[in-house]
Order: sequence, then C-alpha cells, then structure tokens
Amino acid sequence: MSSESSKKRKPKVIRSDGTPTEGKRNRSDTEQEGKYYSEEAEVDLRDPGRDYELYKYTCQELQRLMAEIQDLKSRGGKDVAIEIEERRIQSCVHFMTLKKLNRLAHIRLKKGRDQTHEAKQKVDAYHLQLQNLLYEVMHLQKEITKCLEFKSKHEEIDLVSLEEFYKEAPPDISKAEVTMGDPHQQTLARLDWELEQRKRLAEKYRECLSNKEKILKEIEVKKEYLSSLQPRLNSIMQASLPVQEYLFMPFDQAHKQYETARHLPPPLYVLFVQATAYGQACAHMKSSQPPRQDKMLSVAIEGSVDEAKALFKPPEDSQDDESDSDAEEEQTTKRRRPTLGVQLDDKRKEMLKRHPLSVMLDLKCKDDSVLHLTFYYLMNLNIMTVKAKVTTTTELITPISAGDLLSPDSVLSCLYPGDHGKKTPNPANQYQFDKVGILTLRDYVLDLGHPYLWVQKLGGLHFPKEQPQQQTVIADHSLSASHMETTMKLLKTRVQSRLALHKQFASLEHGIVPVTSDCQYLFPAKVVSRLVKWVTIPHEDYMELHFTKDIVEAGLAGDTNLYYMALIERGTAKLQAAVVLNPGYSSIPPIFRLSLNWKGEKTNSNDDNIRAMESEVNVCYKELCGPRPSHQLLTNQLQRLCVLLDVYLETESHDDSVEGPKEFPQEKMCLRLFRGPSRMKPFKYNHPQGFFSHR
Amino acid sequence: MERAVPLAVPLGQTEVFQALQRLHMTIFSQSVSPCGKFLAAGNNYGQIAIFSLSAALSSEAKEESKKPMVTFQAHDGPIYSMVSTERHLLSAGDGEVKAWLWVEVLKKGCKELWHRQPPYRTSLEVPEINALLLVPKENSLILAGGDCQLHTMDLETGTFTRALRGHTDYIHCLALRERSPEVLSGGEDGTVRLWDLRMAKEVQTIEVYKHEECSRPQNGRWIGCLATDSDWMVCGGGPALTLWHLRSSTPTTVFPMRAPQKHVTFYQDLILSAGQGCCVNQWQLSGELKAQVPGSSPGLLSLCLNQQPAAPECKVLTAAGNSCRVDVFTNLGYRAFSLSF
Repeated sequence: MSSESSKKRKPKVIRSDGTPTEGKRNRSDTEQEGKYYSEEAEVDLRDPGRDYELYKYTCQELQRLMAEIQDLKSRGGKDVAIEIEERRIQSCVHFMTLKKLNRLAHIRLKKGRDQTHEAKQKVDAYHLQLQNLLYEVMHLQKEITKCLEFKSKHEEIDLVSLEEFYKEAPPDISKAEVTMGDPHQQTLARLDWELEQRKRLAEKYRECLSNKEKILKEIEVKKEYLSSLQPRLNSIMQASLPVQEYLFMPFDQAHKQYETARHLPPPLYVLFVQATAYGQACAHMKSSQPPRQDKMLSVAIEGSVDEAKALFKPPEDSQDDESDSDAEEEQTTKRRRPTLGVQLDDKRKEMLKRHPLSVMLDLKCKDDSVLHLTFYYLMNLNIMTVKAKVTTTTELITPISAGDLLSPDSVLSCLYPGDHGKKTPNPANQYQFDKVGILTLRDYVLDLGHPYLWVQKLGGLHFPKEQPQQQTVIADHSLSASHMETTMKLLKTRVQSRLALHKQFASLEHGIVPVTSDCQYLFPAKVVSRLVKWVTIPHEDYMELHFTKDIVEAGLAGDTNLYYMALIERGTAKLQAAVVLNPGYSSIPPIFRLSLNWKGEKTNSNDDNIRAMESEVNVCYKELCGPRPSHQLLTNQLQRLCVLLDVYLETESHDDSVEGPKEFPQEKMCLRLFRGPSRMKPFKYNHPQGFFSHR
Repeated sequence: MERAVPLAVPLGQTEVFQALQRLHMTIFSQSVSPCGKFLAAGNNYGQIAIFSLSAALSSEAKEESKKPMVTFQAHDGPIYSMVSTERHLLSAGDGEVKAWLWVEVLKKGCKELWHRQPPYRTSLEVPEINALLLVPKENSLILAGGDCQLHTMDLETGTFTRALRGHTDYIHCLALRERSPEVLSGGEDGTVRLWDLRMAKEVQTIEVYKHEECSRPQNGRWIGCLATDSDWMVCGGGPALTLWHLRSSTPTTVFPMRAPQKHVTFYQDLILSAGQGCCVNQWQLSGELKAQVPGSSPGLLSLCLNQQPAAPECKVLTAAGNSCRVDVFTNLGYRAFSLSF
C-alpha cells in the first residue's frame, strides 16, 4: 500500500512540486549532463525492473526517515535536531535518487513512444500496399469477365442441331474424332458445314430461277397459240347458232345477256341476278317439264348498251355534251332567253333521268296470263321504279267497273301494306326535290313508273326510315334474295286475284253473282234476292255516303283502295252495299257497308240486324273464302248478302194492323226467329240440313 | 279539294281484321265489382274486359287507363248478361252460366270457378240466357232466356231448384220486387209476368201490347226491358216505354219515345232508359223528357249505375251497346269519357 501511494505521489511531485523554474533547471541539468554523458544511453543499460525495485526501496526509506523525524520531533529534545538534520540529509539523497528515477522514466516513455510511432508508420505502408494489390485484382477480374462475355458473330447463325450435323455432314468436315471432345473445333466444323450447305442452296436457287424463266417462255408461247384459237372458236360459235336455235338451247343468248348485264347499274344488276337465279331455281324444281321452255319467270334486259357504256366515261363525253349544250344554248339565246321555268324544267328532267338500261321481268301465271314488269333505275334519285302490264291469252271483255283493276297504275298498289308507290322511298330525295321545285314524285309516277318499296328491296336498296341525310345506299344481294320469293309469290297472287276479279266483275255487271260449284254448299239452293247493279264509285263519293262514316273513321278507307257500289233487290226492298276493295284482296277482305231501303231507310245505326248482316260478311268472311287462294271471296260475300237479305225480309215480324198478305212469305226453315237482347235473326246457314239458325 | 280525312294508316291483314272486329263489336252486359272500383263488360265475341273505374276517374288518368286491365275469352258465344255477388262475377250467354272469382279475374289467365247449364229440353239449338237475377233473400240466381222458362239456381249448392213456365216466347228481362219475394219477367211474347217465388207460380200477367196507349204493332210485341219500384213497374220494347201501376195493372204514363228501348232503370225520382239511338234518356215520372244525354254508340243495350257504397268516388253511370266503347257519365248531365275494348 505504501509503495502504491508513493508511486502516486511521484508523478505529482514531478508535475506540481516541480515548479516551472525547477523544471527548467532540471531540463537544463540533463542537457548539461548530456554533454558529458548520455543519460539516454544509460537508460538502455539499466533494467527497468530494478529501477522499480530501487524506487520502491527509496520510497520506503523516505517514509521511514519521515516517520523517524516525526518521532524525534514529537519527542523533542536538543539532540534531536542533529539527528533530524542527519536524517534530512539522508532523505535528500533519497530524493535525488527519486529524481533520477523520474528522469529515467521520462526518457523511457519518450523512447517507447518513438518506437510505437515507427511501428505504426510501417503498418501504414503495408496497408497501402495491400489496397493497391486489391484494386489490381479487381481490375483483372473485370477484364476476365469482359473477355468471357465477348460475342462472336457465328453465334447468331442458326446451325443445324448437333445430332443432325454428325449424321449428315461428311466425315472430312465433321472430323468426329477431333471435334467430339473439343467444342471449339466442333463449332468450327459445324460452321464449315453450314457454309457448305448454303453454297449448295444458292446453287439450287439459281437453277430454279432459270427453270422459271424457261416455263414463262413456254407459257408465252402457249398463250399466243390460244389467242390465235379465239377467232376460230368464234367462227365455230357463229356456225353453231342455227343449231342452238333449232334445239332451243339459248346458251349464246344467255351469254349475251350476261355481257349486257355488266353495264347495268348496281341495283338493276342485283335484281337481274337474283331474278335470273330465282327463275332458274323454279325451273329446276319443276323438273318434269322441259326446262326453259315455259318457265314461269323470264328476265331480259332492254335499252341501249352503248348509252350505258357512254355513262361510264364521263370526262370526254361530258365535255362534248357541254360544248354541245353550249352551242345549243347559244342558239337558244339567239332566239330567246330561256326563262327560269325552262331552266327548272331541264333540271327536273335531269334529276328524274332514267338509266338507259332497264330490266324486263315476265311473270307467267298458271292460266298463261303474263305480268310484264319493267324495272327502271333513276340515277340521280338512286331509286328504282317499276311499270307493270298484264296480258292474257284470251281477249278480255273489259267490264266498265273493272277499269282500274288491271291498269298499270294500280295493279300493284299496296302489294305490301301501305306500299302505294307514290312517294319516293329514298328520304334523301326530298332535299333534291326541294332544289328543283318538285313537290312530290306523285305527279311523275305515271311516266316514270312506281317506286314501290318492294322494288327497292328487290334491287337490294335499303333506305333508312329515320336518317334522311344518309347518302350511302349500297345495293345488297342478300336483301334482294330475301325478298325475291315472297314478292314473286305476292305478284303472282295479285295478278291472279285481279284477273279473277276481272272475270267476276264482267258477270257482276250483268247481275249474275258467279258461285263456283265448290262454294255452292255455303248457300241455300233458292236465293230470291238479286244483284241488279255493280258499279265502281270514286273515293270521294264513298266518303260522302252517310252510312260509311265509321269505316272512314276507323281508317279503313284509304285512297289506295278501290270502291264499288252494289245494289241487291228483292221486291220493294233495295239493299245498297258500299264495298271497299283493298288492293291486298283477297288476303284482306272487302269491307261492306249496307243501307236497306224498305219501310224507311235502315242502316247499322238504327237496325241491329243490318249491323249483324254487315258483321256476317265482314267479320265472318273466313268461312266464305272458299278453296285457296280464295278468289271467290267477293262473289261469295255478295251471294251471302243476297241470302242474308232473304232471311231479313222473310223473318221480319208481320204488322198485324196492316191488312193483306205478307210481302215476303217465310220460305226459309228457321229454328227461331229472334234471339238475344238485340233480337237477332237467324242468319247462319247450316249446310246439309238446310235450315237457318243463330250464330 | 281534300276533306279532312283521318290519316289512312297502312293496314295489314291482321290489323284490318282487328279493326273490323272492333267495328262490329257489341257490348251486351256490364257489371260492377263488389268493391265498386272495377267494371266488367262482356261483348258479342264472348270476351270479358275488366276496366278500372278508379284509375280512369282519377285525376292522373291516361289513355291507357281507359283500356281494359284484362281481357279474356269467357264464352264461345256472346255474353248477354252479367251480375256480381259479393265474391263472384257471374256471366251468361249461350246456354251456360259461368262464375269467376273477382279476386282472380284481375290477374291474368284466370280460370272459371264453375259453370252450370240449366236443364233444357230441346237439343237442336242451345237456348241462350238473356237475363240473370240475384235473389239475395234466398241466395239464389234466376236465369231466363231462350227456353221461355225462369230457372232458379241455388247458389249454395249449384243445383237448379225449380223452373217457372208460362211465357210463350223467349224471355228478355227480369226484375225483382224488393219487398215481397216476387219476380217480374218480360219476353218476346209481349207479356210481363209476375211470379211468386214462394208458391213458384205465376200470379199476374200483363199483356202490354193489348193496351192501345202503348202498343206499336209496327215494332212488334216484345218487351225488351223492365224495372220495378214498390208498386210501380216500367217496361218497354216493341210497345212504347210505359209506367204501370202493378196492383191495378193499368198503364199510368206512356213516355213519348219512338225508338224501342232496350234498358230501363229507376234512379231516385227519375227513370233512365236507353235503346235505339245514341242517347241516355231521363224521364220524369209524369212522362216529361227531362234530358237526353248523347253517348258515343249508335245504339245502347245496357246501363249500369255504380252505387256501391264502398267506392263513393266511382259513383258513375256507364252505358254500352253497339260499339266497342263503354260511355262513362260522372253526373247525369254529360258523357265524361269512354272506356274502350
């Protein structure tokens, strides 16, 4: 313990006890001493351990001396001072030793520091070296990877697979024994093989080219030969014409027609193609008959092909035209200036211009009557029109009332409901009309033909109903095809029903209601009422009749219908029947309105039984249709009216107050006279038994 | 010059047929539902249409609410008569009476609840049923028509309990006397007969056509309509519309109307009648014509007063006849609108 405390004390002595002056002196001392002997050298010679021992010992001695001095001092006495002095000297010696030791220790410390510093510098140098080396290593590694990543061009070449290569390549290229183990050599060999093969293919390509050249030349030669053949064939064709005609094989004619058809405008072309196709299909269906001879539909093209051709090269022609017209205009101006009206007229004519070609369709019916349809195309309006004509084999006696039945103006009216063909179906036309001051197309249809909707559909023209500005109307084959069959059938039924009506009217005008034998069962054997008059009446007159008001109000009296007046008489009773004949007869029934003149005028508004009679012919018409296609409907209805009038008159209750016999004795067999709240008469005829009952 | 013509719409075959059917439609019968909000109408094609009176009368009524809610084929022949019990709608036409549940009728595709045919003797032609009459006191239904008899059907069991014979021609109409269990019937033979239901026998016969005041031989003898109120009876048809005192069997008032009447009814102190011609006639008991209100049909066959206490807002008079329209009169003064098949 004491040694430690002394140890601690020693540095203190050096630092604090050693005043600056003392320190300086000490240093200068050592420097002075250094001149004579090197204390540093001494340090090397001395053992630090022993110095430590010495230091410990010195310190103990000092402690002991101090303790003795204290002891002496505390004892006091005179001799003490000497002893104390002696001891002080001893302590001084010891202090000297301590000082020496202190210096030594300093020197040692300094030496140690120097050594450490030196060592540290060495380490730094080594470290720097190491860093350099590491950097070098990194750089080298980078170089290596760069090398490894290098791509050669040959890798892009798509080589044949390894197995294939060994299988196909000749051994002098593949050199299996060398290349098997060495991938580098192997790749080289494969590249060689590739080159070899490519050379061969190039060779082949050249060969093929020359071959092609040769063949082309051959073709050229053969073509020349063929073209030289054409005139010869033509001459043969020419020669064969009489034979064709003789054998009824109009191949040549058909061919010519197809040639002409190329000049048709698209809608007419569509119509032509579809109609021809339909005609052929129909002819094939009836295979038992000789084909083409009496086919039901024949198609032909009329008009000048040259004009049509001229239409296709407008630039030169139009210029010519212009100059021509200019010349004409000059002439006219010389004579007189064309008024505005004339100009407008010209414009109108131009707008309503037809294509020079038209398609003729002849539809033959079973009874050999023919419906001739001529289809035109109005180029500027982009619509099609049709003109119709009906011819029969036997000359028809035209009854007065049948005037409109077969007239070209009305024979096809309303083929489809509402399609009266008096308005243009192309909404865009209205704008065109506005420009040239045409109010409606109605005024021109007689000349141009009717633009029925079904005609547009046959030509594949489809007009949108709500977008009047749409100009792109394309001729569509599928539209035409889908309408061809129904329309043709409708046309046929229309013609047939019109012809049937035509015949019937002839006898109706003579007061005979023709009832065919297969409809006889609908009526009793004895019918007393007679038809005495059958006339056609104008639409306006029909509208004016007082007993047809409700028909007009129900919208069943359009101006496309035909109107007739029939008069049926029995005794003093006269039954007037106003008839509306829908153009769609006989699928749409004729509508009757009655007015009975007998004991005052009776119509449906004041007599329930007149109303019932009307409903018998109008609503229950289906049982009067007779055998299909129900052409007898109208005559059956008229005959039924006669029967109904008989029943009405015979069952009229007899007025007891009037003297004399009844005007119309009851001859019909009736179960009951009246029935129900409206006191209906027995209008229903029961066929085999022959009695009348209530419906 | 062109007259104002309704726009001729292009019509196809079916449209023309439908238009003709509508044109020749006759509505023979009407009946108001027990709740008072619905009106059933039956036509000559055997169809029953159900109209909603409350919808058509409401302030926000549209055109569609004047169309039937439901139309269904009920009979093969015309429907001459319809009545409503508390739950059922009974319809009759050619020989059969059919019952329909009012609750189900309003739904689509409803089926008849039951149908009954009175025992007929003839087989050649099925007699029609012209009139139905409910007798609430004995919960029975009286059917009359083509076979000249009054058949009583018990509504509980559905059996025909008795047949009253006496008419010599078919029966047009029936009326019930409220106090005593007596029924009046009028027929084609020109007689009005009074039947006592307890004794099941005829107690009085009035041969209307034999009285000079009202007979009109040119129109025939038939009695097309009758109505009764206490001791009074009004009947018309071939003979003129006449008010009778039943106890003394004497005609008291002859109403000056030339056209044969097809329906008559007492309403408060008025008599309403309709028939040939488009008007609903309103008479004072004294024989004075109070008003003639024109309807839309050329001839009327049935009037129906909706007096169901359940629906006071639907208290209207409806008239139907020779058209597909049912005229609705909200007050007796004028035609408000028409319901249409």
